[in-house]
Amino acid sequence: MEQPDAWHQTDRLDAEQGKGDPFAAAVRATRMPMIITNPRIPDNPIVYANDAFLRMTGYGRDEVLGRNCRFLQGKDTDRGAVALIRDAVQARTDIAIDILNYRKDGMPFWNALYLSPVVNEGGEVLFFFASQLDVSDRVDAHLRVQQEKDRFETEVANRTRDLTEALATQTMLVHEVDHRVKNNLQMIAALLAMQTRAITDPAARNAMEAMLTRVEALGTVHRRLYQSNNVERFDVAEFARDLATDLVRGSGDRIRLHLDLEAVEIPVAKAPPVALMMNELITNALKHAFPDDRPGRLSVTVAPDAGYFTIKIADDGVGMPVQVMEQRSFGKRLIGTLCRQLSASIAWMANDPGTIVSIRLPREMAGGLESS
Amino acid sequence: MTEPLRILVVEDEALILMQIEMMLEEAGHCVVGTAMTSREAIALVHETRPELVLIDLRLGDGSSGVDVAHAVRQLGGITAAFMTANARALSEDMAGATAVIAKPFTGSVLEESLAYLLDCVRRPPPAELVPSGMRVAPAWLASFARMRAGPPPRQGPRRN
Repeated sequence: MEQPDAWHQTDRLDAEQGKGDPFAAAVRATRMPMIITNPRIPDNPIVYANDAFLRMTGYGRDEVLGRNCRFLQGKDTDRGAVALIRDAVQARTDIAIDILNYRKDGMPFWNALYLSPVVNEGGEVLFFFASQLDVSDRVDAHLRVQQEKDRFETEVANRTRDLTEALATQTMLVHEVDHRVKNNLQMIAALLAMQTRAITDPAARNAMEAMLTRVEALGTVHRRLYQSNNVERFDVAEFARDLATDLVRGSGDRIRLHLDLEAVEIPVAKAPPVALMMNELITNALKHAFPDDRPGRLSVTVAPDAGYFTIKIADDGVGMPVQVMEQRSFGKRLIGTLCRQLSASIAWMANDPGTIVSIRLPREMAGGLESS
Repeated sequence: MTEPLRILVVEDEALILMQIEMMLEEAGHCVVGTAMTSREAIALVHETRPELVLIDLRLGDGSSGVDVAHAVRQLGGITAAFMTANARALSEDMAGATAVIAKPFTGSVLEESLAYLLDCVRRPPPAELVPSGMRVAPAWLASFARMRAGPPPRQGPRRN
């Protein structure tokens, strides 16, 4: 197929002589815009342009022949893209690039340019062959997608910032409320403590002191809340250590405390009733088991048990007198009602000597039961 | 109480201030002054030169107990302890204070904490076991540990 004078013929593609060449005819007739430039002539002018190129750009043949292609560039043409094409021409390499060009009527269009040098056997560049394609639709779609993506990312960044701020505000509010609750509990304890000092009647004083102890137990719950990283769970074992140590210390040196604690985490909403329950049981033991400054030992056990956990309070004192077991005191009613709230079962047993109280309760909130 | 401490109480909540005062006096200590703002407190620190300052973190007029602790640290030779429901707002060094007692505290926690602080003032180092409800600043814990390790006895981290 290769003819010895192929280069010569190609040089005059637009001339009558080229009419017989099937390749030249194909280039003339294709719908793809094509041009040929001659780098051996100063400023590398266009020496051939097919009809498709003229249709795409709106120029007449006489307006493009003899001119450098740069007349297609306009004010928004990317200078970087132009530099890349220039570099490729200088380096005699192929280049495929999308560049913004302008029609004769000033309408911009995206031109998918493919430029390649035509080299003879001696390595000399005879021509540059350039094919073009109006890809405005494709580029516009790409730009639209890019803009959509940018807009979406901005929106996500804004939303993330808003949520972060909302979370910070919420955390601050939780800490503020937590602070106020703790301060108020301290104030209630202060009121009870000071009022108690002014009371001389022993029975009234005892009742006030029991009330102060209950408020203090609730205070200890709140002091321990939000201490761990998990703000929704409450460690019964650590609380039991605090509470029992505090109560036993308050009853003097004669009672030895033994702790057997395994970590049990419960929902925070369950913490106050569990705390009040433990407070009642330990206070009871300290009050009734060791009369007349009798020394002894109190042991507190917290142990997980599948979905349940057990709190056991054992003393080696005088044993729970029948009248204490049977009386309808406020403390006993409180224990009974707390058991109902917690779906707990409670058992009093003889410890020989002393008493064991054992409570077994579900770890999670009871399903379907109103428990907080 | 054979060795009453001279204590300044800085607390802006009337009821809590009264309770602390009452408990300190029942324990035989001497409350040399009470303040509800940091300005009052700093003036009283200079005026009364207490041995121990108990400082609430949030004070009246929106002022902060941290400023009081800084003034105490600058003066030197005075033990300071925070009493706050917002212990998490304290920096790691507790502004030079020895410890923080978390609110709400029970009567017996306050008693034990005071016994610990009495030892800090009068015969450091205090016992190794820190009372529950109280947290000692790491720099002071380290200083106490060095004292326990043996002579020569050293001063606590008065400055920084």
